[in-house]
Amino acid sequence: MTGRLLDSHLMQQRRGWTPARVTLAQSIALAGPVGVSLAERGAVQIAVLMTALVACLAWELAFDLIRGRSPSLHTVTAALIFAILVPATVPLWQIALAASFGVVFGELVFGGRGYGIVSAAAAAAGFLVFSFTGASLSVTSEAVALATLPGAVLLLWGGLISWRVLASVAAVLMAVELARQGLSGLPMVLTTAVFGLVFLVADPVASASTQWGRWVYGLLAGLLIMLFDTLAGSAIGPAALVFASLLASLFAPLIDHLTVAVIVRRRGRVHG
Amino acid sequence: MVAYVLPWFRTEHARLPEQTIHDGAPVGRIALLGADLPGLRPKLLCEQGSRIKRGQAVFHDRAHPEVVFASPVSGVVESITLGPRRSLSALVIRSETGQHEPDPVIMAMSTAADVRAALLAKGFWAAFLTRPFGRIPEPDAVPDAIFVTVTADNPHAPDPRMVLAGQHDVFAAGLKAVALLTEGTVHVCQAHGADIAAGLGDRIRGAFFPSDGSCGLAGTHIHRLYPVGQGRSVWSIGYQDVLSIGRLIETGVHDFSRVVAIAGPRAKRPRLLRTIAGASLQELIGEESQPGNHGAPLCVLSGSETNGRKASWLGRYHHQITLLDDAPRHVNAPERGMMARFRRASQIPAPLVPTGALERALSFDVPVVPFLRALSVGDAETASRLGCLEMVEEDLAAVSLACTSGADYRRMLRHVLDELAEDA
Repeated sequence: MTGRLLDSHLMQQRRGWTPARVTLAQSIALAGPVGVSLAERGAVQIAVLMTALVACLAWELAFDLIRGRSPSLHTVTAALIFAILVPATVPLWQIALAASFGVVFGELVFGGRGYGIVSAAAAAAGFLVFSFTGASLSVTSEAVALATLPGAVLLLWGGLISWRVLASVAAVLMAVELARQGLSGLPMVLTTAVFGLVFLVADPVASASTQWGRWVYGLLAGLLIMLFDTLAGSAIGPAALVFASLLASLFAPLIDHLTVAVIVRRRGRVHG
Repeated sequence: MVAYVLPWFRTEHARLPEQTIHDGAPVGRIALLGADLPGLRPKLLCEQGSRIKRGQAVFHDRAHPEVVFASPVSGVVESITLGPRRSLSALVIRSETGQHEPDPVIMAMSTAADVRAALLAKGFWAAFLTRPFGRIPEPDAVPDAIFVTVTADNPHAPDPRMVLAGQHDVFAAGLKAVALLTEGTVHVCQAHGADIAAGLGDRIRGAFFPSDGSCGLAGTHIHRLYPVGQGRSVWSIGYQDVLSIGRLIETGVHDFSRVVAIAGPRAKRPRLLRTIAGASLQELIGEESQPGNHGAPLCVLSGSETNGRKASWLGRYHHQITLLDDAPRHVNAPERGMMARFRRASQIPAPLVPTGALERALSFDVPVVPFLRALSVGDAETASRLGCLEMVEEDLAAVSLACTSGADYRRMLRHVLDELAEDA
């Protein structure tokens, strides 16, 4: 097929999202949590952030060079999310290695941001937990959770995350918590989970892409989080969020496939 | 700065056209275009230099000799250009004003067979487009329903009520003739207001749509009222063509006149112009354009801003001319070394990020992301199961602009539809 791109006058008119604008909006949404984590952890966090950024961008530059594309900054978001998830006690070389694994095998080998099937930040965090003994992820603090909210509103407003995913996963978490410990634990559940839900589970590329599929995907992610959560009490472990998000996004294409099959069958009935 | 990076902040809007009809500059040359008749192979009935009269057949479809195409003006055939695979590129006619116009011939139009024969012989058959596939119907086909589009698909298009003002009898005569071609319903799709199709019998029904966004497209009307698929086929026709048919019945005169809106940021006085189908845009625009920002070249589109094509002739189905700044031309100096590898312009679409804007941009009840993915890989079977047979190119213009990929889904849809049409 020739001429797959829009004509130049239409390219000029595009007022909606482009990949660069998506990256920028996500980075703006992440500015709050990153700022708070810097304030909380101090200079050590700067080193963590720089290590993650340099590792991710170096790989992206290398892949752009190999593929002959113009340089892009899409892995910045993965680096920022990853820097918030890892505690400052982890050695920097482990952070660099995990971030490299995450962006290379989470998105760059598939062709870059938007082509992959899992969230690169989740892949990096998962790699860190699996590979290094003693390495664990940090539980998000209340301040980070609060700072996540404006970003979440921005992403919801721009349609970059789906309220259906957030609603169904939050409903599952709250229902399970209510059944286990009653009302008192709810604020704790939401505080510890909100960052992971907004930036890992609800990632637009990794989550399901049909309207009904998004409800099912959120349901599955919520159940997996509860299944993987090994922390005592109401707090939700960051590792549970990471692995639930990885596993749920592997199921997202299947969920979409089934949703489409149902829609096609319904269309067949209606249209004869 | 923010406006260039984040969406929603861009506020430049071209002025809406003044909805009053003026006479356009007289045009000396008009063209019948192959771009309006994709896939058609003509058998020419005239040659360069032939003297022809208004309404005289100039070529017919090689596959269906009954489907003829008539000249909208009296004059001389100036040039005939053929495109690839013996298709028509353009047939240009220079009009001669002093020439004797043909006498009006009033044809009997009281039965279905009469109407069919008259529309075929007089070159009005191409006014109809089938759905699925969006092609000119076969001469003996009978549609399950006919959709008359009396809506504007964007705010810069002419207001149909303004164009039809004072001509309701002619329009009603056209509607009655069109209704004879089907045993089903004729849906007269219009914006809210007085019913244009009131009192024309129970087979001619008014349907009302809000006058925003994609609600003006025939595809949306068909999707809401009578979804088509493998087993059913409907035709759509524009209101100005119904008007022309009505005039043919009432007066016997061949009338290919069009009321078009001239709009866009470069239009000096956005308003409605009366001209003729196929008019030379260069002659019509003449003094209508104003200089652009930083001396940008003028881009003339036949059709709307989102759906039009760069053209030098007014398209058969277009009711709008848009004047824009053309994209600045990048001069690609060949570069060497490391940086040259980065500077190569991408020829493949960017990734499709499933944003909420995609769902809003497609007015059909289909799962949009799986559908766009099926189109991108040319998976005709999945696309047809998800409902691509209900669509034609214009229905995907909005979604192409909303998608992160920058891919032209209209071309991908046409590719898939052609494949499906071959199998059908």
